[in-house]
Amino acid sequence: MTYTLVLLRHGESGWNAKNLFTGWVDVPLSEKGLAEATRGGELLTAAGVTPDVVHTSLLRRAITSANLALDAADRHWIPVKRSWRLNERHYGALQGKDKKQIRDEHGDEQFMLWRRSYDVPPPAIELGSEFSQDTDPRYAGQPPVLAECLKDVLERTLPYWHSDIVPDLRAGKTVLVAAHGNSIRAIVKYLDGIDDETIAGINIPTGIPLLYELDEQTLAPVAKGGRYLDPDAAAEAIKAVANQGR
Amino acid sequence: MTYTLVLLRHGQSEGNAEGIFTGWRDVPLTEFGLVQARRAGELLLAAGLLPDVVHTSLRRRAITTANIALDVADRHWIPVKRSWRLNERHYGALQGKDKKQVREQYGDDVFRAWRRSYEVAPPELEAGADTDSAGDPADPHARPEPHVLSEALRDVVARALPYWTDQVVPDLRTGEVVLVVAHGNSIRAMLKHIDRIDDQAIAGLEIPNGIPLRYDLDEATLEPIVRGGSYLDPRAAAEAVGAAAFIGR
Repeated sequence: MTYTLVLLRHGESGWNAKNLFTGWVDVPLSEKGLAEATRGGELLTAAGVTPDVVHTSLLRRAITSANLALDAADRHWIPVKRSWRLNERHYGALQGKDKKQIRDEHGDEQFMLWRRSYDVPPPAIELGSEFSQDTDPRYAGQPPVLAECLKDVLERTLPYWHSDIVPDLRAGKTVLVAAHGNSIRAIVKYLDGIDDETIAGINIPTGIPLLYELDEQTLAPVAKGGRYLDPDAAAEAIKAVANQGR
Repeated sequence: MTYTLVLLRHGQSEGNAEGIFTGWRDVPLTEFGLVQARRAGELLLAAGLLPDVVHTSLRRRAITTANIALDVADRHWIPVKRSWRLNERHYGALQGKDKKQVREQYGDDVFRAWRRSYEVAPPELEAGADTDSAGDPADPHARPEPHVLSEALRDVVARALPYWTDQVVPDLRTGEVVLVVAHGNSIRAMLKHIDRIDDQAIAGLEIPNGIPLRYDLDEATLEPIVRGGSYLDPRAAAEAVGAAAFIGR
């Protein structure tokens, strides 16, 4: 027997479309993103994948994507769990900045390090600045996050994976995780045993459910990399993500 | 000190708009219902009434209303709990039927009794007749709902109150602002309990779509400080309640 995990990156957000660094800034989905979310739900239905529980981040682009996808799949009524541990990577002082401008200002090498290196965080955000979340009530009672590299994301996401997602999988539930490019990369890195260099080349397309069958003993993926429910669209989108900031 | 409870009936559903008995059928909101849900969120925001936790039924008209209202109020990220115990009353064999037609066929008295009496349940749904409103218990992915064929308001009280006591009250007692997004009859069931309305008087209580109803509850007794609570848009609520008298006409 296997367990079923579905990872879903939110549909296109208003800032994906504008090519701005978003991170923990809580922007809504674009019109295209709303359509992608509904399409994500239709793909679940077409594949006969019926989530029994959904885990989301605390950001509306993931929450709205989950809401719309589950409604389209007639699974709007399932239990919901949310955690900041599934949030996008905190992009530090880059939050709210134009990707192309940062690339022009700091050069290709620095830009790619900030975007895709495993352990180089961007500069810390200034507390109290426009795109800082240090006074946001949803993060009250925890130390403010100032910037994260992917390694930091992995270190705060994996505890949630073990404490909240694995028990749902082990209960035999089909688990949907609606989250973000980097929190999903963190989970995928762990599941597929991807090394610190190779993960730089892994991009997650928006709005296309990624299905993993996991061995019930070891929780290792039966097929490494899982399977996108729309593989052609996923391949195209991955190519497009690689071109961001150009 | 007081606890804060906000009750919200879903926005207009397709069943509401078409004058159809809906019950456990899972119909979506109309365009107007979506607007009402947004407006509910704006009313919460304007009143500075920011929910810390939301409870919903398992029906999309309540779930979508909660999702939209909370997004508008910037509270989309709060914990969510759902239960079939907050569902609308099961309308039995009337589900899917036209209200006007039922009133004409059975007369005012029977129509009124089925809609608003405390103890009279509509005729039972023929088992297997309506796959939309009861899941297949053999399906591991089915909704966690019992097999219900018809309910009177009394039955709704009997299944909603355990949820009130076990799930809503503990959240209130933590001092959180609790939002419950549900249905005309599951909200009437809770209000009957909270406001201690008797079996006759409850027939006259109508709940408007999409207008948050605030209760401040005494922290010791959970008695409402003001009986009946207060709608965040009292004028719209009064108008909607007045219009409800013409349903089925």
